[in-house]
Amino acid sequence: MSRLTPKRLTTGAALAAVMVFSSACERPPVEVVNLGFRGVGMQHVDNPRELQDSVNAVVEREPQQGIIPLIGGDPAPPGTYQNVQVLGHLSQGEFNRTMTAITQWVSPEQGCNYCHYVDPETGQPNYASDAIYTKVVSRRMFQMTQEINQNWSSHVREDRGVNCMTCHQGQPVPNNYFFFDGPGDPLRNYVDVEGARVQGTTALTGEGDNRQSIKQAEYTYSLMMHMSNSLGVNCTYCHNSARFADWDESTPQRVSALRGLRMIREQNMQHLVPLQDVWPENRLGPLGDGPKLSCASCHNGAYRPQYNAEYTWATGWPAITQIGYPHENSAPGDTATAN
Amino acid sequence: MAEFQNLLTPIQVHGPPDPGVESEHSDKNRIFKPGGMNYLLGKIGDAQIGPFYLGWLGILSLLFGFAAFEIIGFSMLASVNWDVVEFIRQLPWLSLDPPPPEVGLSIPAYGQGAMWLLAGFFLTVSILLWWYRMYRRAKQLKMGTHVAWAFASAIFLYLVLGFFRPILMGSWGEAVPFGILSHLDWTAAFSLRYGNLFYNPFHMLSIVFLYGSALLFAMHAATILATAKMGGEREIDQITDPGTAAERTMIFWRWTMGFNANMESIHRWAWWFAVLTTFTGGIGILITGPVVDNWYLWGQKHGLVPQYPDVYEQPLVPVQPGELDAPYLGAPSSDPLPGIGTMEGTGPAPEMMMDVSIPVPGLDQVLTYDAEMGR
Repeated sequence: MSRLTPKRLTTGAALAAVMVFSSACERPPVEVVNLGFRGVGMQHVDNPRELQDSVNAVVEREPQQGIIPLIGGDPAPPGTYQNVQVLGHLSQGEFNRTMTAITQWVSPEQGCNYCHYVDPETGQPNYASDAIYTKVVSRRMFQMTQEINQNWSSHVREDRGVNCMTCHQGQPVPNNYFFFDGPGDPLRNYVDVEGARVQGTTALTGEGDNRQSIKQAEYTYSLMMHMSNSLGVNCTYCHNSARFADWDESTPQRVSALRGLRMIREQNMQHLVPLQDVWPENRLGPLGDGPKLSCASCHNGAYRPQYNAEYTWATGWPAITQIGYPHENSAPGDTATAN
Repeated sequence: MAEFQNLLTPIQVHGPPDPGVESEHSDKNRIFKPGGMNYLLGKIGDAQIGPFYLGWLGILSLLFGFAAFEIIGFSMLASVNWDVVEFIRQLPWLSLDPPPPEVGLSIPAYGQGAMWLLAGFFLTVSILLWWYRMYRRAKQLKMGTHVAWAFASAIFLYLVLGFFRPILMGSWGEAVPFGILSHLDWTAAFSLRYGNLFYNPFHMLSIVFLYGSALLFAMHAATILATAKMGGEREIDQITDPGTAAERTMIFWRWTMGFNANMESIHRWAWWFAVLTTFTGGIGILITGPVVDNWYLWGQKHGLVPQYPDVYEQPLVPVQPGELDAPYLGAPSSDPLPGIGTMEGTGPAPEMMMDVSIPVPGLDQVLTYDAEMGR
C-alpha cells in the first residue's frame, strides 16, 4: 500500500520542480568558442547536437535537380521577350536557366504557374502577364537581390553573395519576416529609423547632449535580442558586455552587423515597403502592412545564413550578381509595344 | 549536543500568552487579544500569536497599500482584456508602466501612465504611513527607533528610483515599472543606458554592504548557534555579563582573524551594513543620469577600466571613416508607419530624444525626427 506521506509528497514536489525548471535547459556538453582576449568572457556558445541537426537540415534542402551549370552569354536580342524589366542583361539560355533555378528555389512544388499566368480558356501560359501578384513581387525580389549582391558586399561578401534560396529555402514564403505589431515597434529600426545608440559619448551628463530615455534603452535591447535570436548567438558574439558601445573592444562581426542593419533598412524601404499595394489581403500583417525583412530572413537562426552552403551563393548567377535593366521589347523596325 | 545543531528551534515555551508590557495610550488599539500558542510557528519563531496593534496609521497604510495593489492588479488585468486565465498565465510578464518620455513630469492621460502615477502615489503614502507607525510603536514601547531608521534607508532608495531621480531627469518615464519581469528589464536597461552600472562607485559600495550584510549575518548567526548550548543566544545578558559563551565566541574570532566584535557591537556592524546597502545604492542611482551619463567612460577617465590587448581582426571590408558613427535613435517614432500610413491613437513624437535628420541611403527622402526634451 502506498500512502501519500509528507516525505513522498516532498520528493514528488521536488521532482516536479526539477522537471519544470530544467525543461528549458539543454543537456551538456556545449561547445564554447573564445572570441576575445582571455578572461573577458567573449564567448560563443553552441549546442553541438542542435547545430548538427541544423546543418543537416541545410544539407537536405539543397536542390537536387533543375540547377544547370552557368550558360552566360550576351544579352538576348531585342524583341525576344515582352515585359522583361530587370533581367534584360541575360542571354536566352541564361534566362531560361535562371527561370528553371528560381522554380527550384522558390516554388518547387507549385511550378512556373506560381507566378506565371495561364489563360483558363485556352490553357496557354502568358509569360508576359503581370496578372498574378507573385510575379510583381518576384521582380522586386530580383531587383533587391541584385542590389544586395552589387552594393552590399560589405555585408554579404563579394565572392559569395546571396540568392533566392538564402531566404526562401525552397518555399514560396520564407520562414522569417516580420510585420509591425504597434506604432512604436522596436523592429522599426529595420525599416526606416536609423541608429540604436543609447549610450553617451561623454562621462558626465553636462558635457554631452545624450537624452536617450530608459524606454529607448529597452527598445534597443529588444532590437538587439531580435538580432541575437536571428543569428543564434549571444551578446558577446559582437560586444564586450562590460562596454557595449565601445567599437575598439567589439568583434569585427559587430561592424558587419551594423552594415547588415543598414542593408536591411535600405531593402525594406526600397523594395518591401513599395510592395504594399501589391500584396493580397492574406499576406498582410495585423496592422495591414506587408511582410518585411529582418536579420532572421536570411540568417534563419544561424550566424551565417544556411551555414554558408554554396547553393545559397550568388556566385555563377548573372541574373542576380549584376544590376539588371529592361529588355528591349522591340526588335529593330518593330513598332509593336508590350502590354 | 546534536539538538542544538538544528535548523528549527528545539525548545518551545508554551504557557499563558503574554499580553505585552503596559504602555500609555496604546492598549485600546491592541486587536486580537493574545491568540494562544502555535506549535508550527514555534518551530521557526516564538510560539505566541498576537496581540496585533492596529492604530489609525496602520489602518490607513493598509488601505493605501491595498489601493495601490488593486490599481496595479486591475491595470494588468485590463492589459490582457480582462481575461483572468491570460492574467494568471502571463502574470510574470505583465506590467504597469510609467508614462512615456514625452509626458515629462505632467499628469499623464489614462492609458499613458496615469494609473502608474496613481499607484505610485498610493504605495508611497502607504509606505510612509507604515514608517511612521514603526516609529511610533517603538517610541511607545520606550525603545530606540533603530528599526524605523533602517526602514527609512530602504524608503530612500525606493523614493530615489520612483520619485527623486525622475524629477531630476524631468520625466516620470525614467521610473521603474510595476511588474515582475518588467522591473528587472528596467534594471538591465538602466545599466545599459548609463554605460554599465558596475563602474559606478556607489553601486560598488552598495554591493560591498549587501554582500557584507550577508557575511555578517552568517558569521553572527553561526557564532550564536554554535554557543547556544552555553547560553550564547542570551545575547543581552552576555553584553553586560559575558559568560562562557561570549568568551568562547570572542576568543574563537580572535584566534581565527585576530579581532572580534563583541556581543553588542556585532549588531551595530550589522545595522550599519544593512542601512548603507540601500543608502549608498540610492546615491548611486540618484547621480546616474543627472550627473553621470556613462559610467564606463567615467571609469576610464579615473583609471578603473582595464584595457585589453587588441585581439580582433579587421573586418574583411575595411571600415570607412565615419561609417561607425550612428545617430542616437530616440524612442521609436510614432510617425506614420512606412507603407500603412497614420496609426490611430498615436501621440506626438516622443520628446526625450535627439534632433536628428536622417538621410536614408538611396532614397531622396529625409526623415526628420524632431523633438526637444524641455528639461
